Amino acid sequence: MREFVYHPPTFRQKLDAALAETRLRLINISRYPGQLVMEIIIPLVFASMPMLLGRATAGADAAANFEANTGTTNYVAYMLIGANIFTIVTSAFWHVAYWLRFEQETGTLESIYLTPTSSVTLLSGVALHSAIRGVGSALIAYFIGCLIYRVNPLQGDVLIALLFILVGLIPLYSLTLLFGAVVLKVKESNALINLMQWVVSFLMGIFFPIAILPKVVQLIALAFPPTWMINGVRSALLGVGFFFGEWYLDLAVLWTFLLITPYVGMWVFRRVENNLRRNEGMGQF
Amino acid sequence: MSKHLSVFAAMVHKEFLIMLRYPIEFVASFFQVFLIIIIITLAGLMFSSEGVGAEAPPEVGGVVAYGFVLFIYLSDTLWGIGFNVRREQKQGTLEQLYLSPASKFASLASRVVITLFWTGLLSLGSLLVMSLLLGGLPLQNGGLGLYLLLMSLSGTFGMGFAFAALTLRIKEAAQTAVNMLQFGFMVLCAPFFPFAALPPAILAISRLIPLSYGVDSFRSTLMGYPEGFPELAPIGTEIIIVTLFGLLMPPLGVWLYRWAEDDARRRGTLSEY
Repeated sequence: MREFVYHPPTFRQKLDAALAETRLRLINISRYPGQLVMEIIIPLVFASMPMLLGRATAGADAAANFEANTGTTNYVAYMLIGANIFTIVTSAFWHVAYWLRFEQETGTLESIYLTPTSSVTLLSGVALHSAIRGVGSALIAYFIGCLIYRVNPLQGDVLIALLFILVGLIPLYSLTLLFGAVVLKVKESNALINLMQWVVSFLMGIFFPIAILPKVVQLIALAFPPTWMINGVRSALLGVGFFFGEWYLDLAVLWTFLLITPYVGMWVFRRVENNLRRNEGMGQF
Repeated sequence: MSKHLSVFAAMVHKEFLIMLRYPIEFVASFFQVFLIIIIITLAGLMFSSEGVGAEAPPEVGGVVAYGFVLFIYLSDTLWGIGFNVRREQKQGTLEQLYLSPASKFASLASRVVITLFWTGLLSLGSLLVMSLLLGGLPLQNGGLGLYLLLMSLSGTFGMGFAFAALTLRIKEAAQTAVNMLQFGFMVLCAPFFPFAALPPAILAISRLIPLSYGVDSFRSTLMGYPEGFPELAPIGTEIIIVTLFGLLMPPLGVWLYRWAEDDARRRGTLSEY
């Protein structure tokens, strides 16, 4: 009689599974072009609100007043960067959280947990799809915004700005594991995620420098990777000033987040996941 | 008549129960509104010569605060009335609802009550927060302001019914449509900035939308018509436009919804999603 032996999946197999998940998600979203267009329009409209308000109220002094408060006269690029990093961050939260909730609602989450592919492998695939979609939309929206408002999108150190985005993505997606844990635990968590996206945008200084916030709030904001991401991009492109004066020191902080947050996120996610598996919670929605 | 009223009351009761059974959602949506206000206010203050320490001029506070009230009403109406039909469709309860002898329209209208109550509370709370942040808000001509708000809301609910009709037709794409309408409103009806900030081409489109006159007349009236306000037309003209919008839009929305509903029943697409 032939003997069947279970072999855990190899790294190559895990990578294939993650990429298959990414491909699946990208094919799925390509079927909803309206949604993709909205992902580009939303940050543009969002950034336009304070710009139009500022122009209408401050008139000819808008740029000078803005410089006195933020360190740059280029409020168009400042707001566009804020709105687009916000898009990247919220995409990350929603895509990961919504993936888990979708699987819960359609009743396939339990089945996923019975396959040899780990949930973290599939989550990596979802995260890759989300990063491609989020960063892609943000870049397109930024260029379109600069075109509409007639400012140069490629000023300053573009490569350093891109480096801040790319390095910041890993701690950002590690944080989404915490949101994944919340979805597994709370289930109907749309309102919580909605609230969190605004908390995050407030803390990272979407349309203002965090220096205007009270000291305690500033400290909380600095413990959050997107704050370093957004300030890094603004400083590289607009010269508003890095937190530690030099780009490599700020980037070093992001690298520290990169080394720590994946373990924290994974630990919390696994803990919630195991708890639910042991207590019949996985199939419930 | 009393039976219709009792069905309506039962549906309002059901909507309230659903709302109260999700306390996290309840509290989160409340805090979310305040965060949005704080973010917009701080962003606006970045253009002030004194920064966050400045007290915003009354017109700036009035434009943003009163525009925000109409914005959250429109947003809640589109999601709460229009998109809720989609929720019933997804949950598989829409077809059953149509097979019961209860009034179909009562189900839709019951959500108006929830929106009026809950969004009303949110509006009052947000006005209070903004008043604290900006050092007071202008408040004049309260009676006329309330009339204009009610007429604008009535028109907005009509838009909600019309959107519910659209939801029955376009199904999953309704989510994108809600977003488009919401963001279209944010630009074209200028709830967060004066109309003067819009480029002429966009302003021409704004003038064709009745809700723009709702936003303009409501905030101009409460601000006591400072120089340059109302921006789109003389106040008398705006009052007539807003009144017509408030009176005609609800029956038009209901008519469109009934038409879409009959069409969906005939084609057997009510339970399709």
